[in-house]
Amino acid sequence: MASSSSSGLTFKLHPLVIVNISDHYTRVKSQSLPPHAADASSLPPAPPPRVFGCVIGVQRGRTVEIFNSFELLYDPSTHSLDRAFLEKKQELYKKVFPNFYILGWYSTGSDAQESDMVIHKALMDINESPVYVLLNPSINPAQKDLPITIYESELHVIDGIPQLIFVRSSYTIETVEAERISVDHVAHLKPSDGGSAATQLAAHLTGIHSAIKMLNSRIRVLHHYLLAMQKGDIPCENSLLRQVSSLLRRLPAIESEKFQDDFLMDYNDTLLITYLAMFTNCTSTMNELVDKFNTAYDRHSRRGGRTAFI
Amino acid sequence: MDPFSSAAIARQTWELENNIVSAGEASDSSAAASDAIFYYDEAAQAKFQQEKPWANDPHYFKRVKISALALLKMVVHARSGGTIEVMGLMQGKTDGDAIIVMDAFALPVEGTETRVNAQADAYEYMVDYSQTNKQAGRLENVVGWYHSHPGYGCWLSGIDVSTQMLNQQYQEPFLAVVIDPTRTVSAGKVDIGAFRTYPDGYKPPDEPVSEYQTIPLNKIEDFGVHCKQYYALDITYFKSSLDCHLLDLLWNKYWVNTLSSSPLLGNGDYFAGQISDLAEKIEQAENQLSHSRFGSLLAAPQRKKEEESQLTKITRDSAKITVEQVHGLMSQVIKDILFNSVRQSNKSQAEPSGPEPMVET
Repeated sequence: MASSSSSGLTFKLHPLVIVNISDHYTRVKSQSLPPHAADASSLPPAPPPRVFGCVIGVQRGRTVEIFNSFELLYDPSTHSLDRAFLEKKQELYKKVFPNFYILGWYSTGSDAQESDMVIHKALMDINESPVYVLLNPSINPAQKDLPITIYESELHVIDGIPQLIFVRSSYTIETVEAERISVDHVAHLKPSDGGSAATQLAAHLTGIHSAIKMLNSRIRVLHHYLLAMQKGDIPCENSLLRQVSSLLRRLPAIESEKFQDDFLMDYNDTLLITYLAMFTNCTSTMNELVDKFNTAYDRHSRRGGRTAFI
Repeated sequence: MDPFSSAAIARQTWELENNIVSAGEASDSSAAASDAIFYYDEAAQAKFQQEKPWANDPHYFKRVKISALALLKMVVHARSGGTIEVMGLMQGKTDGDAIIVMDAFALPVEGTETRVNAQADAYEYMVDYSQTNKQAGRLENVVGWYHSHPGYGCWLSGIDVSTQMLNQQYQEPFLAVVIDPTRTVSAGKVDIGAFRTYPDGYKPPDEPVSEYQTIPLNKIEDFGVHCKQYYALDITYFKSSLDCHLLDLLWNKYWVNTLSSSPLLGNGDYFAGQISDLAEKIEQAENQLSHSRFGSLLAAPQRKKEEESQLTKITRDSAKITVEQVHGLMSQVIKDILFNSVRQSNKSQAEPSGPEPMVET
């Protein structure tokens, strides 16, 4: 059922959606298994419940950006989502986020199923090409990739009958700066207050360091791949080589005169700020010194302020 | 591969250092236990509601636990408001002396001076939303409200204090949370504070010193008048085992955003604002200092201490701003070295669109 999508739409997913779906699932799961009654050894693990919901966001041209999501009610008897509920929720969300439209729906599970197509078709009157976001909630420590797949529906002719089937699409993760910081914060459980300047510095540099390490490891992979290609272990793939070569040509990223000027100006501005801060610090220390001196030596001086200090 | 294990070690060191319990680390049973926080026990909550242990002790609630989802939603909502204050409600439950915030949602009102009335307008929204939520399986009740103070720190203003006192009379247990999205982005860490007000006339036994933060000059009066009427609670965060897993994997994708973030460019306005505010404060301090010179005989040592501490405050503020600025510059310089010095290096294929580190979109 899943082949690669050819619709040409790019999908961008925000981490908020991922955390939303995960939270919904955890909630439903733990509500159905009261912690006092659950006994890991005796009770056979019940099949994890499927949760359903709607994803909202913006579509600009060919880019579909999914910002947020909310839960929906599923009626297992008719295999459909509660429509009235959906519209009510949509109204509420429209008030707070007037720019967001319903882009599709989400569910949990390991693979897209036949019954999902029914739900998908039902949503097609709101959005003519909804997306289906599937989260696989089973925790697999060996997994290196996000267990989230985005499906689109396409009309394919199978056995002479035109049918809608799900096709996979690729997506990228998009964040706003604030989102990134809070995800980072929760993911790595950094201290909630500043700590000393040294800890802040360490935190900041550690972040950059990990990012650079990632970049480095990806580059190594690429390097090995190219070496293998050169040796002849892997058949030469020209399209890949073209991509690599075009990427290489993007370095250096910027090399204009104006950039250098602006960069140095920013640099100097920062140095200036540092200078000012040191200046303030010195002034404050000096002020304290003078006051202490005054208190120690000036106790009995008469009125007139500036008498006996240097 | 190596990067993974050393990253894991680094993370564990952090967690150890901060004594923060991360929900669900090693074994399955602990995972189940940590996810237990998501279970909503209706009977226990109702019983707690009837007992009202907070009625006798204004300082009863001491801690707040915020879920990853709630934090993310609040910060994103606060940031989306830009320089306008936004507000919303939080849902959750209580657990002994801790208030647990499981989720948050935004309210369709914008912060103005008449925000107390605006809350009445939002009641309909809130009722609707709570009803639909209960149907969808989120059983918790509203347990607090949050709003943002873009750029001027996490504290309760005069109006906030009166709103919260009202809430604490009629809607206990209730919590007030303030988020500053501008400082969050500028400092690279989440700027958030949770507060509860004391009832009228109550004098706290001793005033624990809260973390110092710089307040802009035009707000400092409002801050000072009311700062004794409420106290801050400790905030910790928790996440489910699935969240942990997903967030780990998420790192594989958004490391590019970390590298390409440009705090210097994004926060230029905020920095400039802070510096001009500091300049005004220095002028004020200078005036006060020169006054004291003339009255050095009569000036009580008390007053001198206050001016000094004002100057030291200014010094601390300037140090903080500088540190943030320097961090931003460091990122820029690192990116410059990485991507601008022409060398025989391959570029990563993982992001074929290529990071454009110097140009902020």
